Amino acid sequence: MTDVWHIAVFELRRAIRTWRAAALLSLFAVSSAGATYLFVRMVGLMENALADQLMVPRTRVPGTMLRELTESDTWREVVSGMVGAEQVTDFVLSIPPLALFDLWFLFLLVPFFAAAAAAESISIDVQSRAIRYETLRTGRPELVLGRFIGQLLLTWFATLMSAGIVFGVGIGFMVIEDRGSLLAWLLWFSLRASAFAVPFVGLGIAASQITSSPAWARVMAITATAGSWVAFGVAVLLQRSERWAVLGDVLLQVLPQGWMQGMWGAGLAWLPAGGVQMGLGLALVALGYLRFARRDL
Amino acid sequence: MTDVTKRYGRAGVLALDALSFEIPTGRITGFIGHNGAGKTTAFSIVAGFLPPDSGAVDILGLGPFDARKLKGKLGVLPQDAALPDRHTPVELFRHLCRLQGMGAAAALREADRVLEAVRLGDRRRSRIHTLSHGMRRRVAVASALCGSPALVLLDEPLAGLDPVQAHALRDTIANLRGTQTVVISSHNLGELERISDRVVMLSAGRCIRQGTLSEVTGQAEVVHWTLAHADAPLDALRARLPDHTFTLEGVRLTQRAGSEVDLDAASVAVMAVLAEAGVAVRALSRGVGLERRFIRDSEAATAPR
Repeated sequence: MTDVWHIAVFELRRAIRTWRAAALLSLFAVSSAGATYLFVRMVGLMENALADQLMVPRTRVPGTMLRELTESDTWREVVSGMVGAEQVTDFVLSIPPLALFDLWFLFLLVPFFAAAAAAESISIDVQSRAIRYETLRTGRPELVLGRFIGQLLLTWFATLMSAGIVFGVGIGFMVIEDRGSLLAWLLWFSLRASAFAVPFVGLGIAASQITSSPAWARVMAITATAGSWVAFGVAVLLQRSERWAVLGDVLLQVLPQGWMQGMWGAGLAWLPAGGVQMGLGLALVALGYLRFARRDL
Repeated sequence: MTDVTKRYGRAGVLALDALSFEIPTGRITGFIGHNGAGKTTAFSIVAGFLPPDSGAVDILGLGPFDARKLKGKLGVLPQDAALPDRHTPVELFRHLCRLQGMGAAAALREADRVLEAVRLGDRRRSRIHTLSHGMRRRVAVASALCGSPALVLLDEPLAGLDPVQAHALRDTIANLRGTQTVVISSHNLGELERISDRVVMLSAGRCIRQGTLSEVTGQAEVVHWTLAHADAPLDALRARLPDHTFTLEGVRLTQRAGSEVDLDAASVAVMAVLAEAGVAVRALSRGVGLERRFIRDSEAATAPR
């Protein structure tokens, strides 16, 4: 396990220094900042609509009427739509809207970032044969597991960065009464978002073990990630039909998105769903390893 | 390596054909062969980059390649592997040393030591991608020396180096003699002749000759004399040294010794006979030279029967 940790740290350092990872992180940061700004504007519009409804003066800065807004039925409908599960809506309504938005946004975006970044982790070094310096000194399982953990750390770094950006945009364009609480929620949610990303990191690492072409690995990983969202939509539709409900249930069990609602649970209630995500991620890594173990390096 | 065979691709191109050879410990062994003779494939099998199709490999008495068993015992310079160039040399070596089982402080000390050994101490904090080709080559060689492994395989270590760098690196490698077992593959046979104790010759995936440098080049059997005039006293030489054969081609006198003869003493005797006959000697050399021996052997090995 010592080797796994050394490789993970070395991988994180390598990944952060590549221009591709820098480009992905920049894209991630810009998307996060832009989406957060749009969300803040949306909150402002909803507050204005609420002010008109209550026949009170409109506010100039979003967040001034946040308490009234979060207690309104409109907000409950919005949150229910975002989370998609009635049983956790009460908990979600109790958290700062910006933190709620951050986690929702990360659930959508992080899989693509994680899969794309992880896809080049092994393939790029197999292509250049730089991987030989490590396989000479440690086993292939340790190498793959180390790269996997390194990419998980990179994903966590990206979610922490997103938390910082959301916080920055929030305090810049919105009235926030309890900044400490917001920051704590954002940091806590970065962990959940990272847990949700585990299967997608696994997907990227699997693709990276299958082919020695980083470009092809990236295409495979991103296509499979997009495909998983399509499959999720199909599975939900199947579950609602009478004839194919069982098939829909089965599909949802093996898709990371099928456990997404569980990731919204209060307190530590999300951990079982997080554990399943970890299991899915490791299963995907193991699937790719079947090829990598026999590969000429 | 015993009877190792390796084929590539769906076409089954034969890279190694029941290859067998031994590398004695504590010596520097030159690994010689044409392009495609199987040198890099043999190295790759020893280093676990490729699995053999058949045959047995025994590394340091520990069996075939196993990264866990050979941790810290095997250093390899792969021929065409790029370095992880986003890191600095010291970061890379520290990482490799940690993977070899060293503690943090020892790994850092070792990283500094090998960088000094290849004269790159002043570039320890430069990112590898900013180094020149020659410097990167030296970093790659140094990676194989990290932790002073018992067995070091160097595939074309001097390729692309300028004469000064090549000379310095050759000295570094020569200094490993006696403490580490080194195998060097190179097309530069002059370099190998200067540095190797033993030689393994490959042709078409087979070992066509192996032995000490002296045995392979015939240094213990043949002396070439270059005379001032083409009139050597052959009868007197044959009478004085009946176990030897002498042939004269122009001014070139070739002396072949019988088995187990002290060639140094015999050479003194030849010199005395030549001096008595008033024949001056302009030059003398022993053996056939590694390059000539390799060309002869490889031509013989590939000639149609």
